[in-house]
Amino acid sequence: MSQKNSQNEPETISQKIAELDKLVAWFESDKFVLEAALDKFNEAKKVAASIEEDLAKLGNTIDVLKKDFSKDS
Amino acid sequence: MENQSLRLGVSDFIALTNQVLDGAYPSIEIEGEVASFKVNQGKFIFFDLKDAESSIGCFMMVFALRIPIEDGMKVIVRATPKLTKWGKFSLTVQSIRPSGEGSLKKSFELLKAKLAKEGLFSTDRKRILPYMPQKIAIISSTQAAGYIDFVKIVEQRWSGLDIQVAHVQVQGESAPDQMIRALEYFNQQSELADVVVLLRGGGSADDLRAFNDELLVRAIAASRIPTLTGIGHEIDESLVDLAADVSASTPSNAAERLVPDRVMVQQQVRGSLRLIWRHMDEVAESSQNHVQSQLERIVRMIDQQHLNTVESLRAIRSHLAAYDPQRVLERGYAITRGEMEIGKSITIEQARNIITAEVTNVTKK
Repeated sequence: MSQKNSQNEPETISQKIAELDKLVAWFESDKFVLEAALDKFNEAKKVAASIEEDLAKLGNTIDVLKKDFSKDS
Repeated sequence: MENQSLRLGVSDFIALTNQVLDGAYPSIEIEGEVASFKVNQGKFIFFDLKDAESSIGCFMMVFALRIPIEDGMKVIVRATPKLTKWGKFSLTVQSIRPSGEGSLKKSFELLKAKLAKEGLFSTDRKRILPYMPQKIAIISSTQAAGYIDFVKIVEQRWSGLDIQVAHVQVQGESAPDQMIRALEYFNQQSELADVVVLLRGGGSADDLRAFNDELLVRAIAASRIPTLTGIGHEIDESLVDLAADVSASTPSNAAERLVPDRVMVQQQVRGSLRLIWRHMDEVAESSQNHVQSQLERIVRMIDQQHLNTVESLRAIRSHLAAYDPQRVLERGYAITRGEMEIGKSITIEQARNIITAEVTNVTKK
């Protein structure tokens, strides 16, 4: 659940959503400064676009196990 | 002529009879009503199985009993007939299950009360499922309509899932053991799934009986992985449902409760961006308002300063005006200039006239 790639960028959809939530929280926090806001906003736009892209293209992997559960192993 | 009858010892006869019985009835199901049910030494179960006319003794091991049984219940036993070394004919029971709606319900209620007393259904034990699980374990029959519905809805709603499916029987005598083995398999993996889902579509009470198996219910309650069940229809309630962390009403509902809807997530993401934009807009507007208000304040201060200066000048002028000699002259006074000596010429200034005069007398006051 918590794998990250080598550049420490969020990898999974849930990680990306968490990143987006963090950015929204920054805008609502005392840390907000107008000078940094545009960069943060662009970052949020990038994360949001990436989430939408993931949602549009990813499929699910379904693997039916070969193990026979009718017998004691 | 010598009699050709087979002559055997008692033990051999009993062994032969059992061989014949084994061949004739390797396994047989018999339906009847339970009477004189008792457990000896916590290990051995004895009871009679009877109908209106006949009765037969039954023996079974406690571990083979998967449901509560009591006298008067109608049951179906799977058993092997056997003649004991004391010459008593009995059934060695491999499995027993309630027969008929009344017995099923009775058995269900007895087990429910027993497990509830142990706290297996307590809400304190319930775990919350992750909002966005990634690794899903499914226990179901891959041919079951319920499984197919579940997969279809999951595919519609969400992406990026790693789903492992244990194909098991979800109906019949071996179903509980198969589901228990699958549950144990998933719980023994080094990397655990985020959720394990137990699925089966609708069916009769007898079809769903496997989900009231005591050992399966205990295995669900003991699972290290959070559990979600989607069994039967809305109206069906199984003991496995009660023991699971989350119980969905149907397999389709299980899919809906397991993963978020991508359309909703997209809306949330867009909502987050709008929120940031609105916040930036508000901050920009607020900054602009602040600058404007400061400018207005400066202008007001300059205005005030100007007024103060004008007022101050006016006061000075008024003050100065009090010293204006002309105003003294206006009040009737006169200014005399020149030497105050007799015979000298002086000038006398009045408000309207300047008079030249000669000093004729000077008297000290």
